[in-house]
Amino acid sequence: MTVIEDLAPPPKVEVRPRGVSRRERWQRRLPLLPALIYTIVVTQIPFLVTLYYSFQSYFWNTTAPAHFNGVSNYKTVFTTPAFRSALWRSVVMTAAAVIIAMILGVALAVLLDRKFFGRGVVRTLLITPFLIMPAAAALVWAGPMLDPNFGLLNYLLAPFGVHHVAWLSTHALGSVIVVMIWQWTPFMTLIVLAGLQSQPPDVLEAAKVDGAGAFATFRELTLPHLRPYIELGILLGSIYLVNVFDQVRLMTNGGPGTATTNLPFYLYQQVNYAFDIGGAAATGVVTVILTIIVATFALRMFARVFRFEEAV
Amino acid sequence: MAQVRYVSASRVYGKNAPPAVDALDLEIRDGEFMVLVGPSGSGKTTALRMLAGLEPLDAGRVEIGERDVTFVPPKDRDIAMVFQNYALYPQKTVAQNMGFALKMQGVPKDERDRRVREAARLLDLDDQMLDRKPRQLSGGQRQRVAMGRAIVREPRVFLMDEPLSNLDAKLRVQTRSQIAELQRRLGITTVYVTHDQVEAMTMGHRVAVLARGKLQQCATPRELYDNPVNQFVAGFIGSPAMNLQTVPLTDGGARLAGTVLPLPAAVRTAASQAGLGELVAGIRPEHLHLANGSGELAGEVLLVEDLGADALLHVRLAGDADPVVARTEGRTPPAPGQQVTFHVQPDDIFAFHPVTGARLAG
Repeated sequence: MTVIEDLAPPPKVEVRPRGVSRRERWQRRLPLLPALIYTIVVTQIPFLVTLYYSFQSYFWNTTAPAHFNGVSNYKTVFTTPAFRSALWRSVVMTAAAVIIAMILGVALAVLLDRKFFGRGVVRTLLITPFLIMPAAAALVWAGPMLDPNFGLLNYLLAPFGVHHVAWLSTHALGSVIVVMIWQWTPFMTLIVLAGLQSQPPDVLEAAKVDGAGAFATFRELTLPHLRPYIELGILLGSIYLVNVFDQVRLMTNGGPGTATTNLPFYLYQQVNYAFDIGGAAATGVVTVILTIIVATFALRMFARVFRFEEAV
Repeated sequence: MAQVRYVSASRVYGKNAPPAVDALDLEIRDGEFMVLVGPSGSGKTTALRMLAGLEPLDAGRVEIGERDVTFVPPKDRDIAMVFQNYALYPQKTVAQNMGFALKMQGVPKDERDRRVREAARLLDLDDQMLDRKPRQLSGGQRQRVAMGRAIVREPRVFLMDEPLSNLDAKLRVQTRSQIAELQRRLGITTVYVTHDQVEAMTMGHRVAVLARGKLQQCATPRELYDNPVNQFVAGFIGSPAMNLQTVPLTDGGARLAGTVLPLPAAVRTAASQAGLGELVAGIRPEHLHLANGSGELAGEVLLVEDLGADALLHVRLAGDADPVVARTEGRTPPAPGQQVTFHVQPDDIFAFHPVTGARLAG
């Protein structure tokens, strides 16, 4: 009896529930339409407008009307050293911030992944930087923290012979990166902590019985287990941090010189200082394309993380 | 190769909770297959984890091969453990899983490969399987890899925590005999935890029965079956379970189902010494012999479970006693509703103290 049942083919799974007419399906989706239209209006139309202007010569500080000038804006984008250096600085800032934030995040997550008195308080305090508005954080760092004369950092370093360092002038790029790290370490900690807590405890016990010490267990088992979480954190962090603007604008204003001018700030300068709408539009389009490339990798990684979760 | 000793080992989880393991004294001989069995919450797994070093002791000590290991971390105890859910390392291949302990010991790669292959052969794991990840394996294969990981070590003691509970019934019976056979061949001291008394009886050289954190009895399977020291062991060992009925005492024996069952003199003496008016009588299902109308116990058949070789009769005895189960020959069982009588040998009746559950001399 059971054998016969086992041999019977499994029932076919209908992708579309039977008996739901075309009309009914439309009725179900109709309430989503306003959101879709809104999304198109606020994202796709501005993009199309940007695309249009990127082929125009259009300056706000002249009375000349906008006129089509082919791909010359794009030529400028790819030939001017300012764009390349801004691009390179974006890459350096993002990579340094994300990688260091991730290393710190893993370390903090490992420390948090054990029971101790006051863990809840410590966890909340550690997460706080992520909850602060980037602009507010930038202002706090630029003023009370890094001020050459009254800054907390100089005060704390004074006993070690460090006096009146103008961090934002002498170590501008480093200072901005530090603030980015400060703000993004909690995010990495949370993601890695979720990964650590999803590790089955009996695997760790098996490792103990198998004679692995704490360090070997971490290297051989925990780190491979965390890999998809670390990848996810790095990619999400990169997507956000490549667009960092608040800290640059408020702490260093892109300077000294162009020492902290990244892509978003360069774009901002093109519009607000050079009034070059066409050039800025072309830079924006190139930036979007580069971002899409990164985002595509990120989405693939998402898919991988979910596959991984399913398989385990 | 080593003997294992628990000396008054205790583990208490909560401040006011009763101990999970209460002053356990147990000696496991070198090369012995010892099964810890008991219902859930009996402390059998905790006892095993104490031996593994995964659970600290609150009192007493644990020894492996004459050495006190109470405060020795798991990695220095030279033990191997098979976990209930196998706890394979998901990112490592089967071969890496099996060779992990050796890698941690710093065994060179060639030697590691050789020993992994040897263990794989012993467990019928073919070579291509060695390169797979655990998630690509079936439950039975995972179980064998977990066994393999333990064997490769050549440890002094094997610890197994319900390793068969995730397998289907047929595979479980098959693997049961394989593990017992493997243990006999390797001769490594083994402590095996299970809640399944059939596993305990078929695999163990000796079986330790635990209940509520206390050791009830530790003996060979045969001894446990023939001579349970108390009502708990009597009821736990044996399938179907022993029929246990509280019965009033009379001059010559115990009153059950309207008749007087004769009890051995020793039991009667013990009962009167304890000043008991009643006791718990236990009769195993196979000791209720069908006796075509001439038996002393009469009753009505409620249900017949035909197992093929034999049949189980659920019978309501005359009077208001609980139904009892009798094992009878399978070909011609009585039909439900039929009146039957049973004959019982006085020597086959176990008697227990109604309050403490202790066996009354017999």
